[in-house]
Amino acid sequence: MNRTLRLIPHLIAIFVRTKFEYPGAMLLAWFSQATSYGAMYTAIALIVTRFGMLGGWTWSEMALLLSFHLLAYSTGASFSFTQFRVMEDMVRLGTMDAVLVKPISPWTYLVFSGLNIGYTGHIILAVGLMAWSVTQIDLAWSLPVALFFLATLVSGALVVCALMTMIGATALVWVRSRHLYSIFFGFWELARYPITIFPVPIQLMLITIVPLGFISTVPVAVLLGKPVPLLGDWAGLACLLAGPIMVLIAMLHWRWCLRNYQGAGG
Amino acid sequence: MRAPAYANFTVNAFQTRLAYRNAVWAGAFGDLVFMFARIAIWVSVYGAASGATVEGFSLPDMITYALLAGPVLYWDFSRLVNEVGNAVQTGDVAVYLLKPLHYPAYLLASHIGHFLFELLLIVLPIAVIVCLTYGLVPPVSPFHGLAFLAFWLLSFAMLFTLATLAGLLAFWLMTVFALEWFLMSIMTLLSGGLVPLWLFPDWLAAIAGHLPFAWVSYYPAAVYLGKLDPGQTLLYFAIGCVWLLALLTALGWLWAQARHRLIVQGG
Repeated sequence: MNRTLRLIPHLIAIFVRTKFEYPGAMLLAWFSQATSYGAMYTAIALIVTRFGMLGGWTWSEMALLLSFHLLAYSTGASFSFTQFRVMEDMVRLGTMDAVLVKPISPWTYLVFSGLNIGYTGHIILAVGLMAWSVTQIDLAWSLPVALFFLATLVSGALVVCALMTMIGATALVWVRSRHLYSIFFGFWELARYPITIFPVPIQLMLITIVPLGFISTVPVAVLLGKPVPLLGDWAGLACLLAGPIMVLIAMLHWRWCLRNYQGAGG
Repeated sequence: MRAPAYANFTVNAFQTRLAYRNAVWAGAFGDLVFMFARIAIWVSVYGAASGATVEGFSLPDMITYALLAGPVLYWDFSRLVNEVGNAVQTGDVAVYLLKPLHYPAYLLASHIGHFLFELLLIVLPIAVIVCLTYGLVPPVSPFHGLAFLAFWLLSFAMLFTLATLAGLLAFWLMTVFALEWFLMSIMTLLSGGLVPLWLFPDWLAAIAGHLPFAWVSYYPAAVYLGKLDPGQTLLYFAIGCVWLLALLTALGWLWAQARHRLIVQGG
């Protein structure tokens, strides 16, 4: 365990150094991604300001929702998305076998040897938008509220990381699993908006089988004192538990997939 | 290489996509969820609005607009940008230069295949589901329906040209990652794919309405819904054709420059 913990900073440092070899491309990538999210948020702002509200949420409240969504997603995805997106290629080409024989947990190796600093642009935009939005809304800050805010942000990031891990792990058994990210990003898009604007079946899916509602729309609704359908007063507790529960499920899925991995490469 | 031979690339691209069936259903499901998100926004804001119409458009109009401006017209250009970018990065583009074909024409033929595949197996099922669940409105008149088809062709050519231009810049930048995201940000806001230009502030609508991106989603969908009268429809079609000609000229010039500065990265 200690040896693994000592190794992690080295794995991260090696990967970060490779990214800094092309600083221009890296900065351009950060800027372009932040610009793209900014354009999408501008489009949403145009709708909300034109109609006054979206599902009872003002633009300031929507800004908090969007920033929370982006921050939880980018934090969770930096530990998982690009790493597990290539999993099916690793299985197909046989390079996953080389990872499995390394004297370190395969998950730890994959996650930290590819820790994606490409999300820096996302994080800068999210923090900036969040800082602006909290000055515009009437949120009664206190220590419990601040702790809840941080805890739900971490929990949301865990949900993202757990789902990404599960999709990647599925490639160990199915060989192909990248297509499942299309479904992930479909629901990820829904989580940008107030959950109340969707029909009940979609609301139910967002808090159960694809629990991306917990990365943004549910915790921000709780923070703003807005009603959360289906969960009611239990929404706050559910937000805190969603991340840890998803991590446990992802661990079980990962281990099951590893046990059933038979290789596909030559 | 003679023009009819390029049709083989179209067929080949279509058949290649057929081989990945899981990607088809997952992509269709993902796009359907996206579509429901867009519809939910309009249902929500129209439900809260005082009148049945906003700027002369009802909720069924907006649902139809969301479908046309989104999945129908705004096809996934990332595949095209990345294909060119990867060909430059890996050096595969050199192989295409050795073959007796015109690379941009090959890309066009190939991506017509991808477009037709997505239209038939992803967009059409989504349109049927949306029609059955929410309902869609027909074109406002036969003239507008026919004009929409012409604008649709123009839209495809415009997006193809814009994406290929972005992809070819990889010859200089050696990466298309940022270019793809920049193009995506421009298209998100200025194509009208998400928000029709009539909901923009006047000054922004005036600018966006005269940039080529608006011919990808906004004008075809606006023509279908009757936002433009016949005179305006013909005028804006002509303006779009001028933009397309200008962009094709730029593409031809860029391709001529790119061929002479090829640095193969792969081995």
